[in-house]
Amino acid sequence: MGKFGKEFAKGLILSNPVFILALGLCPTLAVSTSIGNALGMTLAVVIVLLGSNIIISAIRNIVPNMMRIPIFIVIIATLVTVVDLIFQANFPDLHQSLGIFLPLVVVNCIILGRAEAFASKNPIVYSIADALGITVGFMLALLMISFLRQILGTGSLSLSVFGIDINFFTLPILREHPMVIFILPPGAFLLIGLLLGLFRRMGVMKSE
Amino acid sequence: MKADTLKRIFPVILITVVVFACVALLNWTDSITRGKIEYQKEQQVQSMLAEMFPNMSQYTFEDDIYTIYSNGDRVGYAFIAAGKGYGGDIDILVGLEDEATIKGITIIPPITETPGLGSRIAESSFTDMFRGLNIADVALSRDGGQIDAITGSTISSRAVVDAVRTEAMEKVKLLKDSEEGG
Amino acid sequence: MNELIAIFIGMALINNFILVRYLGLCPFFGVSKKVGNAVSMGIAVTFVMSIASLATWLIHHYILLPFDIEYMYIIIYILVIASLVQIIELFIKRTNLALYNAFGIYLPLITTNCAVLGVTFINMVENYSLLGSIVSALGAGLGFTLVLFIMSNIRERLELADSPKSMKGLPIAFLIAVLLGLAFFGFGGMI
Repeated sequence: MGKFGKEFAKGLILSNPVFILALGLCPTLAVSTSIGNALGMTLAVVIVLLGSNIIISAIRNIVPNMMRIPIFIVIIATLVTVVDLIFQANFPDLHQSLGIFLPLVVVNCIILGRAEAFASKNPIVYSIADALGITVGFMLALLMISFLRQILGTGSLSLSVFGIDINFFTLPILREHPMVIFILPPGAFLLIGLLLGLFRRMGVMKSE
Repeated sequence: MKADTLKRIFPVILITVVVFACVALLNWTDSITRGKIEYQKEQQVQSMLAEMFPNMSQYTFEDDIYTIYSNGDRVGYAFIAAGKGYGGDIDILVGLEDEATIKGITIIPPITETPGLGSRIAESSFTDMFRGLNIADVALSRDGGQIDAITGSTISSRAVVDAVRTEAMEKVKLLKDSEEGG
Repeated sequence: MNELIAIFIGMALINNFILVRYLGLCPFFGVSKKVGNAVSMGIAVTFVMSIASLATWLIHHYILLPFDIEYMYIIIYILVIASLVQIIELFIKRTNLALYNAFGIYLPLITTNCAVLGVTFINMVENYSLLGSIVSALGAGLGFTLVLFIMSNIRERLELADSPKSMKGLPIAFLIAVLLGLAFFGFGGMI
């Protein structure tokens, strides 16, 4: 498994971006209203994070300290714009659902944080592992939350993104009377507060 | 070149190269996506028109007015009205059956009014009220018209109503003028 | 005038950044432990938002649109904000040390604050006028500050209460946010 595996696994639980590092909270709560949105956002994040980690790791030895942040920002912003344009052209519905949160990926603490904390100090191979691990951790957290929000908030679980359109199942009572609150912000706060508490209780995280 | 000067200009060179590369990449991406993005927007309008005029076979667009045809016969017109709502601009696709009657309206996404309240202007319970309405009757009930405002969203409702009526009257005037002009 | 008031109230209360739009959550949970810090952060954010809105509006309408490079908006907006924050920080540090100590240290954090970049994006999407953009930024910032103020007051008292160990800190803060969010929904039918 070696170091690659270790860096990858780190992003899943121990350094889970959402539940432990509490990074990228804004997009997490905003796009977790449906699984489709969650997956769409994950795709955007993986492209940008992978790209930025690789590029920044590649040039890490020739960038003078003072220029680090501005150059990182330019690189990340470019990647985000590319993703934004590609989504707009090929996945217009997804682009509309994600709204401003797609371009906001540029200030997503996860990406700049990893660039600063890891990619700028580690070789490319491990930076790739880090990016993949963090993205998977992010995706798991997102899916967990969207799963709950979509079922409780709309009474059915369906996936409609990237041309796929599946309705997994519908829960009879919830369909008639969904708990709409979960689709709305207060519900999101409720779920993530409880989930955070739960994770801590399970001892997976250390308390503050 | 002295090693010292090189060291000092290096950051500048680096950032210029990086910026250049990024701008070039963006420019290229823009050129390959722009066409498709325009196409998507056109697709969206087309599907909304088709939904409003089920028997539409084609349409033309001139002077900001869509003319809808069904197998050669003109069946109506459509245009986009812009209202000033709560969260900003509301774009409304308005269909006209003829020069006095509204065929229907569709709110063009994205809808930026308050979720659960103002956003209900997109629901059929609101938009259906416009169907078959005389342009002169397009006003809120409390203002003497036929449209019931959405409870708790007077601003959004009124924005839609005002935009539809004003733009409809303007477009009808344009149509009549162009007909008379020949 | 009516339109400006609607924009202001919309941004501050009805579509509150933190409780309705999911923007500015990181500082919300990170800085809301003490009332003083929270309010300082809020004011700094409002200030930066307003100037950033002005700058980005001008750039958007006089440079991006005329030259047909609207797709560059993400890069340009974030660079504008980052530069603005640097300039403001230097300026305050040199001219008013007291002010700098009051909220200058929060300025660097604001660069990556999704609320600031968010308000400039919203201004663009909604196509606000120049005045509208500034009013919207003021509304957004003040609404943000209000929620931060309320939250920090509650959290200060909560520190002294007896909460379950696993819920202490961040989890309980989220639960408070639920109640605040529900309360703010009451603003929905205001106008």
